[in-house]
Amino acid sequence: MKARTVRLWSVVHTWTSLISTVFLLLLCLTGLPLVFHHEIDQLLGYAPQPEAHASAAHATTQQVADAALAADPGRVLQYISWDKYEPGIVTAFTNSTVDGLPDNTTVRAFDAVSAKLLGPVGVGPMLIVLKLHTDMFAGQAGKLFLGAMGLLFAVAIVSGVVLYWPFTRRLRFATIRDRASRRVVWLDWHNLIGVVTVAWALVVGLTGVVNTWAELMLNQWKATELASMVAPYAGKPPPSHLASLDGVVARAKTAAPGMEIAFIAFPGTPFTSSHHFAAFMRGDTALTSRLLKPVLLDGETGEVADSRALPVYLQALLISQPLHFGDYGGVPLKVIWAALDLLTIVVIGSGLYLWLARRRKRAPVRSGAFARRASVPS
Amino acid sequence: MMHGSPDSSRLWIRVFAAPVLLAAATITGLLAALLWGAVGQYVAWVTVGAPVLVAIWTLLRHSLDKGGLPKSGRHGRASLD
Repeated sequence: MKARTVRLWSVVHTWTSLISTVFLLLLCLTGLPLVFHHEIDQLLGYAPQPEAHASAAHATTQQVADAALAADPGRVLQYISWDKYEPGIVTAFTNSTVDGLPDNTTVRAFDAVSAKLLGPVGVGPMLIVLKLHTDMFAGQAGKLFLGAMGLLFAVAIVSGVVLYWPFTRRLRFATIRDRASRRVVWLDWHNLIGVVTVAWALVVGLTGVVNTWAELMLNQWKATELASMVAPYAGKPPPSHLASLDGVVARAKTAAPGMEIAFIAFPGTPFTSSHHFAAFMRGDTALTSRLLKPVLLDGETGEVADSRALPVYLQALLISQPLHFGDYGGVPLKVIWAALDLLTIVVIGSGLYLWLARRRKRAPVRSGAFARRASVPS
Repeated sequence: MMHGSPDSSRLWIRVFAAPVLLAAATITGLLAALLWGAVGQYVAWVTVGAPVLVAIWTLLRHSLDKGGLPKSGRHGRASLD
């Protein structure tokens, strides 16, 4: 590789890293507790626990909906969801209007058997950490900005791999030259940790970028696929009364055999039309439980209106989520995720140190050259 | 770029073999947990955890080297004769 090419890649690596450094540190530091958010919420008492029951007969969906509305008088239901990993809990989302702002949504957990209110969900310190991680309290603009930082991170990783060759070709793999200066030692650690974590960092970085586009993708789906699915209902007013939720659930299950309900979106919410319930169904394998299939049901009659697989870009979004969160391989994978997060912090920190050390090293040379020039008699 | 001669090819393999293998293991593990259920989880623990093990192993080796024989001069190993 020519010296000029190395310098060019070095400039790309330096500046893509430097511009994104502060935000990447923020993402890594907030991402670390988020890996264990469930455990932390449990420890701090913010995770509702289901009651112990002798009977396994679950409450009906309508009973849960009635309990949710009773718990939040004057408000309306937006969604009811069932977590695959928390079968004893049903979660209900209420808001002042069906299309109310996400920040105004109240999320409560109900016992799946007795429909008793168990407590609020998504509150406590982890909510602040989550907001910092996803949008820095700046809404959609904050999300897209962090997505752009994620893209810079990806460019920094690729340029780092290119630079790995000229910096390490004379060394054995995993060499740390501890007889050299501190700067060289940190350069070796930076190169080693950077290159061994490259695949994980790229996957987590790019899936994070995809996640920042979630709302844009959802809007695209609504404008195209969903619009086409509800076209026969164009001009119909919102339902004057809602169909029984138990009927909606039963018909959705019939329309998607072998699948179970992940969540129901009520008419008028961002995930459906103003006239339809949307039941999002999931499969039972590790992969298909992540891929949702929407079933649209008439809001008044509960009859199935249409059902289609989600487009590729939304499926990619759904697949990207576990790959970003690391929550799909049990606690050991979470621990590994946290360790890789810490290693990424070391790479970012050592990169910053190397840049500062190089500047300090150059500064005396520059000032010396200036002094020599200044001393030349005119 | 660096594949001009057999020597440079060998050098390229020496530099990139371990990183490429670790990257392949990581990707395999990330997908295994998603596609193969419980078995895939065990695969993921080993393969996604491999880069962490390499870092820990290097740190331990580095620490043991530093804590081993006394060094001569500023950084070199001591002469035993």
